[in-house]
Amino acid sequence: MTPILSLAGITKRYGGVEALKGVDLDVHQGEILAVCGDNGAGKSTLIRIVSGAHEASGGEMRLHGAPVVFRSPHDALTRGIATIYQDLALAPRLSIAENVFMGAELVRPLLLPFVKMLDRKGMRTAARGYLERLQVPVTDMRRPVERLSGGQRQAVAIARALHWNARLVIMDEPTAALGVKETGLVLDLIRRLKAEGRTVVLISHNMADVVALADRVAILKGGRKVIDRPLKGLDADTLAHMVMTGVDRT
Amino acid sequence: MRAVFETWGTALAGLAVVLFFVVAAPNFASPTNLLNIVKETSFLAILALGFTLALITAELDLSIADVASLAAVVTGFLIHGGHPPALAVAAGLGVGLLCGLVNGVSVTRLRVPALIATLGMAAMARGLGFMLTEGVSFVGRWPTGFTGLARASVWGIPALVLWMAGAAAIALVLVKATRTGARMTATGEAEEAARLSGIATARMKRIGLALSGLAAGLTAVLLTASLSSAAPNMAGDYFLYAIAAVLLGMTMVEPGRANIPGTLIAALTLKVLGNGLVLMGAAYYVQDIVLGFIIIASVAVSASVMRKAPLRL
Ligand SMILES: Nc1ncnc2c1ncn2[C@@H]1O[C@H](COP(=O)(O)OP(=O)(O)O)[C@@H](O)[C@H]1O
Ligand SMILES: [Mg+2]
Repeated sequence: MTPILSLAGITKRYGGVEALKGVDLDVHQGEILAVCGDNGAGKSTLIRIVSGAHEASGGEMRLHGAPVVFRSPHDALTRGIATIYQDLALAPRLSIAENVFMGAELVRPLLLPFVKMLDRKGMRTAARGYLERLQVPVTDMRRPVERLSGGQRQAVAIARALHWNARLVIMDEPTAALGVKETGLVLDLIRRLKAEGRTVVLISHNMADVVALADRVAILKGGRKVIDRPLKGLDADTLAHMVMTGVDRT
Repeated sequence: MRAVFETWGTALAGLAVVLFFVVAAPNFASPTNLLNIVKETSFLAILALGFTLALITAELDLSIADVASLAAVVTGFLIHGGHPPALAVAAGLGVGLLCGLVNGVSVTRLRVPALIATLGMAAMARGLGFMLTEGVSFVGRWPTGFTGLARASVWGIPALVLWMAGAAAIALVLVKATRTGARMTATGEAEEAARLSGIATARMKRIGLALSGLAAGLTAVLLTASLSSAAPNMAGDYFLYAIAAVLLGMTMVEPGRANIPGTLIAALTLKVLGNGLVLMGAAYYVQDIVLGFIIIASVAVSASVMRKAPLRL
Protein backbone atom coordinates (compact mmCIF):
# COMPACT_ATOMS: atom_id res chain seq x y z
CA MET A 1 0.00 0.00 0.00
CA THR A 2 1.22 3.53 -0.74
CA PRO A 3 2.43 5.21 2.44
CA ILE A 4 0.29 8.13 3.59
CA LEU A 5 3.51 10.14 3.85
CA SER A 6 6.87 9.31 2.37
CA LEU A 7 10.13 11.20 2.92
CA ALA A 8 13.17 10.61 0.73
CA GLY A 9 16.64 12.04 1.31
CA ILE A 10 15.41 14.93 3.47
CA THR A 11 18.22 17.27 4.51
CA LYS A 12 18.14 20.44 6.57
CA ARG A 13 20.93 22.90 7.28
CA TYR A 14 20.74 25.71 9.81
CA GLY A 15 23.64 27.88 8.71
CA GLY A 16 26.61 25.60 9.32
CA VAL A 17 24.71 22.96 11.30
CA GLU A 18 23.49 19.98 9.30
CA ALA A 19 20.52 18.92 11.41
CA LEU A 20 19.25 16.28 8.95
CA LYS A 21 21.59 14.43 6.65
CA GLY A 22 19.29 12.62 4.25
CA VAL A 23 16.38 10.95 6.04
CA ASP A 24 14.07 8.41 4.37
CA LEU A 25 10.90 7.64 6.26
CA ASP A 26 7.53 6.13 5.36
CA VAL A 27 4.42 6.57 7.45
CA HIS A 28 1.64 4.06 6.82
CA GLN A 29 -2.09 4.59 7.08
CA GLY A 30 -3.48 3.86 10.53
CA GLU A 31 -0.23 3.15 12.35
CA ILE A 32 1.37 4.77 15.35
CA LEU A 33 4.96 5.46 14.43
CA ALA A 34 7.32 6.45 17.23
CA VAL A 35 10.30 8.61 16.32
CA CYS A 36 13.03 8.42 18.95
CA GLY A 37 16.53 9.75 19.35
CA ASP A 38 18.81 11.63 21.70
CA ASN A 39 18.68 15.38 22.17
CA GLY A 40 19.84 17.05 18.99
CA ALA A 41 19.19 13.98 16.84
CA GLY A 42 16.94 16.02 14.56
CA LYS A 43 13.45 14.85 15.61
CA SER A 44 11.96 18.31 16.02
CA THR A 45 13.56 19.50 12.80
CA LEU A 46 12.04 16.58 10.95
CA ILE A 47 8.53 17.27 12.18
CA ARG A 48 8.87 20.99 11.55
CA ILE A 49 9.51 20.13 7.91
CA VAL A 50 6.58 17.74 7.72
CA SER A 51 4.29 20.30 9.33
CA GLY A 52 5.31 23.15 7.03
CA ALA A 53 6.96 25.22 9.77
CA HIS A 54 10.37 24.90 8.05
CA GLU A 55 11.28 24.09 4.47
CA ALA A 56 13.72 21.26 3.84
CA SER A 57 17.09 22.13 2.32
CA GLY A 58 16.86 19.07 0.09
CA GLY A 59 14.98 15.84 -0.51
CA GLU A 60 11.44 14.97 -1.44
CA MET A 61 8.18 14.60 0.39
CA ARG A 62 5.24 12.64 -1.01
CA LEU A 63 1.68 12.60 0.26
CA HIS A 64 -0.28 9.53 -0.88
CA GLY A 65 2.38 9.09 -3.53
CA ALA A 66 2.21 12.61 -4.97
CA PRO A 67 5.10 15.06 -4.41
CA VAL A 68 4.22 17.97 -2.13
CA VAL A 69 5.92 21.13 -0.89
CA PHE A 70 4.62 22.82 2.25
CA ARG A 71 5.42 26.51 2.43
CA SER A 72 3.53 27.19 5.66
CA PRO A 73 1.78 25.34 8.49
CA HIS A 74 -1.45 26.25 6.75
CA ASP A 75 -0.42 24.21 3.68
CA ALA A 76 0.18 21.12 5.80
CA LEU A 77 -3.05 21.57 7.79
CA THR A 78 -5.18 21.84 4.67
CA ARG A 79 -3.54 18.66 3.36
CA GLY A 80 -4.55 16.75 6.50
CA ILE A 81 -1.39 16.96 8.60
CA ALA A 82 -1.76 18.50 12.06
CA THR A 83 1.16 18.91 14.42
CA ILE A 84 0.94 19.34 18.16
CA TYR A 85 3.98 21.09 19.55
CA GLN A 86 4.85 20.62 23.16
CA ASP A 87 4.82 24.24 24.35
CA LEU A 88 3.84 26.30 21.35
CA ALA A 89 0.52 24.75 20.48
CA LEU A 90 -1.89 26.87 22.51
CA ALA A 91 -2.58 30.48 23.47
CA PRO A 92 -2.75 30.18 27.28
CA ARG A 93 -5.05 33.12 27.94
CA LEU A 94 -7.55 32.33 25.22
CA SER A 95 -10.49 30.04 25.91
CA ILE A 96 -10.80 26.36 25.07
CA ALA A 97 -13.14 27.14 22.19
CA GLU A 98 -10.88 29.89 20.85
CA ASN A 99 -7.93 27.51 20.92
CA VAL A 100 -9.72 24.58 19.30
CA PHE A 101 -10.90 26.78 16.44
CA MET A 102 -7.78 28.95 16.12
CA GLY A 103 -7.15 29.47 12.42
CA ALA A 104 -10.30 27.55 11.41
CA GLU A 105 -13.09 29.50 13.07
CA LEU A 106 -16.75 28.76 12.45
CA VAL A 107 -18.47 31.70 10.78
CA ARG A 108 -22.08 32.62 10.19
CA PRO A 109 -23.69 33.50 6.89
CA LEU A 110 -22.22 36.77 5.78
CA LEU A 111 -23.56 40.06 6.98
CA LEU A 112 -21.51 41.91 4.38
CA PRO A 113 -19.20 40.58 1.73
CA PHE A 114 -15.67 40.07 3.12
CA VAL A 115 -16.87 40.30 6.73
CA LYS A 116 -16.89 36.89 8.35
CA MET A 117 -18.88 36.96 11.59
CA LEU A 118 -17.88 34.42 14.23
CA ASP A 119 -20.31 31.78 15.37
CA ARG A 120 -19.11 31.71 18.97
CA LYS A 121 -21.97 29.62 20.27
CA GLY A 122 -21.49 27.09 17.51
CA MET A 123 -17.81 26.89 18.33
CA ARG A 124 -18.46 26.28 22.01
CA THR A 125 -20.92 23.53 21.21
CA ALA A 126 -18.61 21.90 18.69
CA ALA A 127 -15.57 22.20 20.98
CA ARG A 128 -17.52 20.41 23.70
CA GLY A 129 -18.40 17.75 21.15
CA TYR A 130 -14.75 17.16 20.26
CA LEU A 131 -13.74 16.89 23.89
CA GLU A 132 -16.60 14.46 24.56
CA ARG A 133 -15.40 12.39 21.63
CA LEU A 134 -11.99 12.31 23.31
CA GLN A 135 -13.78 11.44 26.58
CA VAL A 136 -12.36 14.47 28.36
CA PRO A 137 -15.06 15.94 30.57
CA VAL A 138 -14.67 19.73 30.63
CA THR A 139 -17.87 21.74 30.63
CA ASP A 140 -17.01 25.42 30.31
CA MET A 141 -15.61 26.10 26.86
CA ARG A 142 -14.97 29.72 27.90
CA ARG A 143 -12.30 28.68 30.38
CA PRO A 144 -8.79 29.90 29.48
CA VAL A 145 -6.51 26.95 28.70
CA GLU A 146 -3.95 28.18 31.23
CA ARG A 147 -6.38 26.98 33.87
CA LEU A 148 -6.44 23.41 32.53
CA SER A 149 -4.23 20.50 33.54
CA GLY A 150 -1.45 19.42 31.21
CA GLY A 151 -3.44 16.44 29.97
CA GLN A 152 -6.52 18.54 29.32
CA ARG A 153 -4.38 20.96 27.32
CA GLN A 154 -3.16 18.13 25.13
CA ALA A 155 -6.81 17.21 24.64
CA VAL A 156 -7.55 20.77 23.46
CA ALA A 157 -4.66 20.58 21.00
CA ILE A 158 -5.89 17.20 19.77
CA ALA A 159 -9.42 18.57 19.45
CA ARG A 160 -7.99 21.19 17.13
CA ALA A 161 -6.47 18.42 14.99
CA LEU A 162 -9.87 16.71 14.93
CA HIS A 163 -11.49 19.93 13.78
CA TRP A 164 -9.03 20.15 10.89
CA ASN A 165 -9.97 16.51 10.30
CA ALA A 166 -6.28 15.66 10.19
CA ARG A 167 -5.54 12.19 8.88
CA LEU A 168 -1.99 12.39 10.18
CA VAL A 169 -1.43 13.77 13.69
CA ILE A 170 2.14 14.47 14.75
CA MET A 171 2.88 14.95 18.44
CA ASP A 172 6.17 16.26 19.82
CA GLU A 173 6.83 14.93 23.32
CA PRO A 174 3.15 15.02 24.34
CA THR A 175 3.78 13.56 27.81
CA ALA A 176 7.12 15.23 28.62
CA ALA A 177 5.74 17.68 31.17
CA LEU A 178 3.07 15.42 32.67
CA GLY A 179 2.63 13.33 35.80
CA VAL A 180 1.65 9.65 35.75
CA LYS A 181 -2.12 10.12 35.73
CA GLU A 182 -2.06 12.84 33.09
CA THR A 183 0.29 10.76 30.97
CA GLY A 184 -2.23 7.93 31.10
CA LEU A 185 -4.91 10.32 29.88
CA VAL A 186 -2.81 11.42 26.92
CA LEU A 187 -1.92 7.83 25.99
CA ASP A 188 -5.66 7.09 25.93
CA LEU A 189 -6.21 10.12 23.69
CA ILE A 190 -3.63 8.80 21.25
CA ARG A 191 -5.29 5.37 21.26
CA ARG A 192 -8.60 7.04 20.45
CA LEU A 193 -7.04 8.82 17.48
CA LYS A 194 -5.84 5.47 16.20
CA ALA A 195 -9.23 3.88 16.82
CA GLU A 196 -10.75 6.60 14.61
CA GLY A 197 -8.49 5.43 11.81
CA ARG A 198 -6.04 8.31 12.08
CA THR A 199 -2.33 7.94 11.71
CA VAL A 200 -0.07 9.16 14.51
CA VAL A 201 3.60 10.06 14.57
CA LEU A 202 4.75 10.22 18.16
CA ILE A 203 8.04 11.86 19.10
CA SER A 204 8.99 10.70 22.56
CA HIS A 205 11.80 10.30 25.03
CA ASN A 206 9.66 8.12 27.20
CA MET A 207 10.33 4.51 26.22
CA ALA A 208 7.46 3.24 28.34
CA ASP A 209 5.05 5.38 26.30
CA VAL A 210 6.58 4.15 23.07
CA VAL A 211 6.32 0.51 24.10
CA ALA A 212 2.74 1.03 25.24
CA LEU A 213 1.58 2.62 21.98
CA ALA A 214 3.76 2.29 18.93
CA ASP A 215 3.39 -0.13 16.06
CA ARG A 216 6.74 0.82 14.63
CA VAL A 217 9.76 2.76 15.78
CA ALA A 218 12.27 4.88 13.86
CA ILE A 219 15.43 6.02 15.61
CA LEU A 220 17.38 9.10 14.55
CA LYS A 221 20.98 9.71 15.46
CA GLY A 222 23.10 12.67 14.36
CA GLY A 223 20.61 13.65 11.67
CA ARG A 224 20.32 10.17 10.13
CA LYS A 225 17.77 7.43 10.54
CA VAL A 226 19.70 4.49 11.98
CA ILE A 227 16.88 2.10 12.90
CA ASP A 228 13.40 1.55 11.47
CA ARG A 229 11.55 -1.56 12.60
CA PRO A 230 8.30 -2.92 14.03
CA LEU A 231 8.05 -2.51 17.76
CA LYS A 232 7.15 -6.14 18.24
CA GLY A 233 9.43 -7.88 20.71
CA LEU A 234 11.06 -4.73 22.14
CA ASP A 235 10.89 -3.70 25.76
CA ALA A 236 11.67 -0.26 27.14
CA ASP A 237 15.22 -1.13 28.23
CA THR A 238 16.22 -2.60 24.89
CA LEU A 239 14.70 0.39 23.14
CA ALA A 240 16.56 2.84 25.38
CA HIS A 241 19.78 1.01 24.61
CA MET A 242 19.06 1.19 20.89
CA VAL A 243 18.41 4.94 21.10
CA MET A 244 21.72 5.40 22.90
CA THR A 245 23.88 3.29 20.65
CA GLY A 246 21.98 3.52 17.39
CA VAL A 247 22.50 -0.21 16.91
CA ASP A 248 19.81 -2.90 16.70
CA ARG A 249 21.21 -6.01 18.37
CA THR A 250 18.03 -8.02 18.78
CA MET B 1 -14.60 40.16 45.02
CA ARG B 2 -10.99 39.89 44.02
CA ALA B 3 -12.04 39.17 40.44
CA VAL B 4 -14.26 42.27 40.41
CA PHE B 5 -11.36 44.31 41.66
CA GLU B 6 -8.95 42.94 39.05
CA THR B 7 -11.43 43.61 36.26
CA TRP B 8 -12.81 46.97 37.34
CA GLY B 9 -10.38 48.29 39.98
CA THR B 10 -8.75 50.97 37.88
CA ALA B 11 -12.09 51.91 36.30
CA LEU B 12 -13.41 52.52 39.83
CA ALA B 13 -10.31 54.58 40.53
CA GLY B 14 -11.24 56.61 37.43
CA LEU B 15 -14.74 57.11 38.83
CA ALA B 16 -13.21 58.28 42.09
CA VAL B 17 -11.19 60.83 40.14
CA VAL B 18 -14.37 62.14 38.50
CA LEU B 19 -16.14 62.42 41.86
CA PHE B 20 -13.13 64.16 43.35
CA PHE B 21 -13.21 66.88 40.69
CA VAL B 22 -16.99 67.22 40.97
CA VAL B 23 -16.44 68.19 44.57
CA ALA B 24 -13.11 69.96 44.37
CA ALA B 25 -12.80 71.68 41.00
CA PRO B 26 -14.74 74.88 40.38
CA ASN B 27 -17.20 74.59 37.47
CA PHE B 28 -16.17 71.04 36.74
CA ALA B 29 -19.68 69.66 37.05
CA SER B 30 -21.29 72.31 34.84
CA PRO B 31 -23.11 70.77 31.86
CA THR B 32 -21.04 72.80 29.39
CA ASN B 33 -17.79 71.63 30.88
CA LEU B 34 -18.89 67.99 31.02
CA LEU B 35 -20.08 68.10 27.42
CA ASN B 36 -16.79 69.69 26.39
CA ILE B 37 -14.86 66.93 28.09
CA VAL B 38 -16.80 64.25 26.23
CA LYS B 39 -16.32 66.09 22.91
CA GLU B 40 -12.63 66.57 23.60
CA THR B 41 -12.33 62.91 24.50
CA SER B 42 -13.38 61.89 21.00
CA PHE B 43 -10.08 62.89 19.37
CA LEU B 44 -8.10 61.07 22.01
CA ALA B 45 -10.39 58.06 22.01
CA ILE B 46 -10.33 57.55 18.23
CA LEU B 47 -6.54 57.89 18.12
CA ALA B 48 -6.20 55.49 21.05
CA LEU B 49 -8.61 52.99 19.46
CA GLY B 50 -6.20 52.71 16.54
CA PHE B 51 -3.27 52.16 18.86
CA THR B 52 -5.36 49.52 20.63
CA LEU B 53 -5.97 47.61 17.39
CA ALA B 54 -2.24 47.56 16.64
CA LEU B 55 -1.41 46.52 20.18
CA ILE B 56 -3.95 43.68 20.02
CA THR B 57 -1.63 42.13 17.43
CA ALA B 58 1.31 42.86 19.80
CA GLU B 59 2.70 45.72 17.71
CA LEU B 60 3.40 49.20 18.99
CA ASP B 61 2.58 52.24 16.85
CA LEU B 62 4.59 55.22 18.05
CA SER B 63 3.77 57.19 14.89
CA ILE B 64 0.06 57.84 15.58
CA ALA B 65 0.35 61.45 16.70
CA ASP B 66 2.79 62.57 13.99
CA VAL B 67 0.83 60.72 11.32
CA ALA B 68 -2.32 62.47 12.56
CA SER B 69 -0.54 65.84 12.35
CA LEU B 70 0.58 65.10 8.80
CA ALA B 71 -2.91 63.99 7.79
CA ALA B 72 -4.33 67.16 9.35
CA VAL B 73 -1.94 69.33 7.40
CA VAL B 74 -2.79 67.56 4.14
CA THR B 75 -6.51 67.94 4.83
CA GLY B 76 -6.09 71.60 5.76
CA PHE B 77 -3.93 72.23 2.70
CA LEU B 78 -6.64 70.94 0.38
CA ILE B 79 -9.52 72.71 2.11
CA HIS B 80 -7.51 75.90 2.25
CA GLY B 81 -6.86 75.62 -1.50
CA GLY B 82 -10.58 75.50 -2.13
CA HIS B 83 -10.83 71.81 -2.97
CA PRO B 84 -14.03 69.94 -2.21
CA PRO B 85 -14.36 68.72 1.39
CA ALA B 86 -14.88 65.13 0.22
CA LEU B 87 -11.47 65.18 -1.44
CA ALA B 88 -9.80 66.70 1.60
CA VAL B 89 -11.38 64.15 3.90
CA ALA B 90 -10.42 61.28 1.62
CA ALA B 91 -6.87 62.60 1.46
CA GLY B 92 -6.62 62.90 5.25
CA LEU B 93 -7.90 59.36 5.77
CA GLY B 94 -5.72 58.15 2.90
CA VAL B 95 -2.54 59.65 4.34
CA GLY B 96 -3.23 57.95 7.66
CA LEU B 97 -3.99 54.62 6.04
CA LEU B 98 -0.94 54.84 3.79
CA CYS B 99 1.39 55.55 6.71
CA GLY B 100 -0.15 52.60 8.58
CA LEU B 101 0.35 50.33 5.59
CA VAL B 102 3.98 51.42 5.31
CA ASN B 103 4.45 50.67 9.01
CA GLY B 104 2.93 47.23 8.47
CA VAL B 105 5.21 46.46 5.56
CA SER B 106 8.29 47.67 7.47
CA VAL B 107 7.44 45.46 10.42
CA THR B 108 6.37 42.29 8.63
CA ARG B 109 8.24 42.32 5.33
CA LEU B 110 11.40 44.27 6.13
CA ARG B 111 11.47 42.86 9.67
CA VAL B 112 12.12 46.20 11.33
CA PRO B 113 10.87 46.03 14.96
CA ALA B 114 7.73 48.16 15.33
CA LEU B 115 9.41 50.33 17.93
CA ILE B 116 11.97 51.42 15.33
CA ALA B 117 9.76 51.34 12.24
CA THR B 118 7.05 53.55 13.75
CA LEU B 119 9.56 55.88 15.39
CA GLY B 120 11.10 56.40 11.96
CA MET B 121 7.65 56.93 10.47
CA ALA B 122 6.91 59.50 13.18
CA ALA B 123 10.01 61.48 12.27
CA MET B 124 9.25 61.36 8.56
CA ALA B 125 5.61 62.37 9.05
CA ARG B 126 6.65 65.28 11.25
CA GLY B 127 9.21 66.43 8.72
CA LEU B 128 6.73 66.16 5.85
CA GLY B 129 4.18 68.15 7.83
CA PHE B 130 6.62 71.03 8.28
CA MET B 131 7.66 70.76 4.65
CA LEU B 132 4.06 71.10 3.42
CA THR B 133 3.25 74.09 5.60
CA GLU B 134 6.69 75.67 5.65
CA GLY B 135 6.15 75.85 9.36
CA VAL B 136 3.01 77.99 9.40
CA SER B 137 -0.61 77.01 9.92
CA PHE B 138 -3.54 76.88 7.55
CA VAL B 139 -6.33 78.87 9.16
CA GLY B 140 -9.46 80.11 7.52
CA ARG B 141 -13.16 80.44 7.16
CA TRP B 142 -13.72 76.97 5.85
CA PRO B 143 -16.96 75.63 4.36
CA THR B 144 -19.43 74.33 6.91
CA GLY B 145 -19.71 71.23 4.79
CA PHE B 146 -16.28 70.47 6.19
CA THR B 147 -16.29 71.98 9.67
CA GLY B 148 -19.74 70.49 10.27
CA LEU B 149 -18.10 67.06 10.41
CA ALA B 150 -16.96 68.00 13.89
CA ARG B 151 -19.24 70.85 14.87
CA ALA B 152 -22.69 69.72 13.80
CA SER B 153 -25.15 67.85 15.95
CA VAL B 154 -27.51 65.09 14.99
CA TRP B 155 -30.71 64.87 17.04
CA GLY B 156 -28.99 67.01 19.62
CA ILE B 157 -25.99 64.74 19.90
CA PRO B 158 -22.67 66.38 18.98
CA ALA B 159 -21.15 64.89 15.85
CA LEU B 160 -17.85 64.26 17.65
CA VAL B 161 -19.59 62.04 20.15
CA LEU B 162 -21.23 60.12 17.31
CA TRP B 163 -17.88 59.67 15.53
CA MET B 164 -16.36 58.34 18.73
CA ALA B 165 -19.28 55.97 19.36
CA GLY B 166 -19.23 54.79 15.75
CA ALA B 167 -15.49 54.17 15.72
CA ALA B 168 -15.68 52.31 19.02
CA ALA B 169 -18.61 50.20 17.86
CA ILE B 170 -16.83 49.22 14.66
CA ALA B 171 -13.62 48.41 16.51
CA LEU B 172 -15.51 46.36 19.09
CA VAL B 173 -17.39 44.35 16.48
CA LEU B 174 -14.17 43.80 14.55
CA VAL B 175 -12.28 42.49 17.57
CA LYS B 176 -15.01 40.49 19.25
CA ALA B 177 -17.31 39.29 16.51
CA THR B 178 -15.32 38.81 13.31
CA ARG B 179 -12.93 36.14 12.18
CA THR B 180 -10.26 38.73 11.43
CA GLY B 181 -10.56 40.05 14.99
CA ALA B 182 -10.21 36.57 16.45
CA ARG B 183 -7.09 36.03 14.37
CA MET B 184 -5.63 39.41 15.33
CA THR B 185 -6.20 38.52 18.98
CA ALA B 186 -4.63 35.07 18.57
CA THR B 187 -1.64 36.66 16.84
CA GLY B 188 -1.12 39.05 19.72
CA GLU B 189 -1.69 36.44 22.40
CA ALA B 190 0.55 33.71 21.05
CA GLU B 191 2.13 34.51 17.72
CA GLU B 192 3.87 31.17 17.23
CA ALA B 193 0.80 29.14 18.17
CA ALA B 194 -1.27 31.26 15.80
CA ARG B 195 1.19 30.78 12.95
CA LEU B 196 1.37 27.05 13.55
CA SER B 197 -2.46 26.96 13.51
CA GLY B 198 -2.39 28.30 9.98
CA ILE B 199 -3.06 31.98 10.73
CA ALA B 200 -1.32 34.51 8.47
CA THR B 201 0.12 36.37 11.46
CA ALA B 202 2.05 38.90 9.37
CA ARG B 203 -1.17 39.88 7.61
CA MET B 204 -2.94 40.35 10.96
CA LYS B 205 -0.16 42.68 12.09
CA ARG B 206 -0.41 44.64 8.85
CA ILE B 207 -4.16 45.00 9.40
CA GLY B 208 -3.63 46.20 12.97
CA LEU B 209 -1.04 48.80 11.96
CA ALA B 210 -3.05 49.92 8.91
CA LEU B 211 -6.14 50.47 11.06
CA SER B 212 -4.02 52.40 13.54
CA GLY B 213 -2.98 54.71 10.70
CA LEU B 214 -6.55 55.02 9.48
CA ALA B 215 -7.70 55.99 12.97
CA ALA B 216 -4.97 58.64 13.06
CA GLY B 217 -6.31 59.95 9.74
CA LEU B 218 -9.86 60.15 11.11
CA THR B 219 -8.63 61.92 14.24
CA ALA B 220 -6.83 64.41 12.02
CA VAL B 221 -9.88 65.15 9.87
CA LEU B 222 -12.07 65.74 12.93
CA LEU B 223 -9.45 67.83 14.67
CA THR B 224 -8.97 69.99 11.58
CA ALA B 225 -12.72 70.42 11.11
CA SER B 226 -13.21 71.22 14.75
CA LEU B 227 -10.46 73.85 14.92
CA SER B 228 -10.86 75.22 11.37
CA SER B 229 -7.15 75.11 11.13
CA ALA B 230 -4.26 72.77 10.51
CA ALA B 231 -0.73 73.07 11.81
CA PRO B 232 2.28 70.82 11.89
CA ASN B 233 2.48 68.96 15.18
CA MET B 234 -1.14 69.83 15.99
CA ALA B 235 -1.78 66.29 17.32
CA GLY B 236 1.51 66.14 19.20
CA ASP B 237 -0.14 66.60 22.59
CA TYR B 238 -2.22 63.49 22.02
CA PHE B 239 0.79 61.17 21.85
CA LEU B 240 1.32 60.57 25.55
CA TYR B 241 -2.40 60.78 26.21
CA ALA B 242 -3.23 58.06 23.69
CA ILE B 243 -0.53 55.70 24.92
CA ALA B 244 -1.58 56.30 28.51
CA ALA B 245 -5.21 55.65 27.57
CA VAL B 246 -4.43 52.30 25.99
CA LEU B 247 -2.12 51.14 28.77
CA LEU B 248 -4.52 52.29 31.47
CA GLY B 249 -7.31 50.59 29.52
CA MET B 250 -5.29 47.37 29.63
CA THR B 251 -5.66 47.30 33.40
CA MET B 252 -9.45 46.95 33.21
CA VAL B 253 -12.26 44.96 31.56
CA GLU B 254 -9.86 42.34 30.16
CA PRO B 255 -6.88 42.90 32.44
CA GLY B 256 -3.54 42.44 30.75
CA ARG B 257 -4.89 42.77 27.23
CA ALA B 258 -5.44 45.88 25.14
CA ASN B 259 -9.22 46.14 24.79
CA ILE B 260 -11.72 48.54 23.28
CA PRO B 261 -13.98 49.30 26.28
CA GLY B 262 -10.93 49.73 28.51
CA THR B 263 -9.40 52.21 26.09
CA LEU B 264 -12.64 54.24 25.99
CA ILE B 265 -13.06 54.35 29.75
CA ALA B 266 -9.40 55.23 30.21
CA ALA B 267 -9.53 57.97 27.55
CA LEU B 268 -12.48 59.58 29.28
CA THR B 269 -10.81 59.24 32.67
CA LEU B 270 -7.61 60.88 31.43
CA LYS B 271 -9.49 63.76 29.85
CA VAL B 272 -11.38 64.31 33.09
CA LEU B 273 -8.10 64.26 34.93
CA GLY B 274 -6.49 66.75 32.55
CA ASN B 275 -9.51 69.05 32.59
CA GLY B 276 -9.84 68.88 36.36
CA LEU B 277 -6.17 69.66 36.86
CA VAL B 278 -6.47 72.71 34.63
CA LEU B 279 -9.59 73.90 36.44
CA MET B 280 -7.82 73.53 39.75
CA GLY B 281 -5.07 75.76 38.44
CA ALA B 282 -2.35 73.15 38.08
CA ALA B 283 0.46 74.20 35.76
CA TYR B 284 0.46 72.72 32.28
CA TYR B 285 3.50 70.53 32.86
CA VAL B 286 1.75 68.73 35.70
CA GLN B 287 -0.23 66.81 33.07
CA ASP B 288 2.93 65.35 31.58
CA ILE B 289 4.15 64.25 34.97
CA VAL B 290 0.83 62.61 35.76
CA LEU B 291 0.61 60.91 32.36
CA GLY B 292 4.12 59.54 32.64
CA PHE B 293 3.31 58.12 36.04
CA ILE B 294 0.06 56.57 34.78
CA ILE B 295 1.87 54.94 31.84
CA ILE B 296 4.37 53.21 34.10
CA ALA B 297 1.91 52.37 36.87
CA SER B 298 -0.61 50.90 34.39
CA VAL B 299 1.89 48.47 32.96
CA ALA B 300 3.00 47.55 36.48
CA VAL B 301 -0.64 46.84 37.42
CA SER B 302 -1.12 44.68 34.31
CA ALA B 303 2.08 42.84 35.11
CA SER B 304 0.95 42.06 38.64
CA VAL B 305 -2.41 40.76 37.41
CA MET B 306 -0.77 38.57 34.79
CA ARG B 307 2.19 37.71 37.00
CA LYS B 308 4.49 38.38 34.05
CA ALA B 309 5.41 41.19 31.69
CA PRO B 310 2.26 42.20 29.77
CA LEU B 311 4.16 43.64 26.82
CA ARG B 312 6.97 41.92 24.98
CA LEU B 313 7.83 44.42 22.32
N1 LIG C 1 16.45 26.95 14.64
C1 LIG C 1 17.67 26.34 14.70
N2 LIG C 1 18.78 27.04 14.38
C2 LIG C 1 20.00 26.45 14.41
N3 LIG C 1 20.21 25.17 14.77
C3 LIG C 1 19.15 24.44 15.11
C4 LIG C 1 17.81 24.98 15.11
N4 LIG C 1 16.95 24.01 15.49
C5 LIG C 1 17.71 22.93 15.72
N5 LIG C 1 19.02 23.16 15.51
C6 LIG C 1 20.12 22.18 15.63
O1 LIG C 1 19.77 21.08 14.83
C7 LIG C 1 20.08 19.88 15.48
C8 LIG C 1 18.83 19.03 15.64
O2 LIG C 1 17.96 19.67 16.57
P1 LIG C 1 16.47 19.17 16.87
O3 LIG C 1 15.80 18.90 15.60
O4 LIG C 1 15.84 20.14 17.80
O5 LIG C 1 16.75 17.79 17.64
P2 LIG C 1 15.83 16.97 18.66
O6 LIG C 1 14.44 17.45 18.54
O7 LIG C 1 16.01 15.56 18.21
O8 LIG C 1 16.39 17.18 20.02
C9 LIG C 1 20.73 20.26 16.80
O9 LIG C 1 22.13 20.25 16.61
C10 LIG C 1 20.23 21.65 17.04
O10 LIG C 1 21.17 22.38 17.78
MG1 LIG D 1 13.13 18.30 20.07
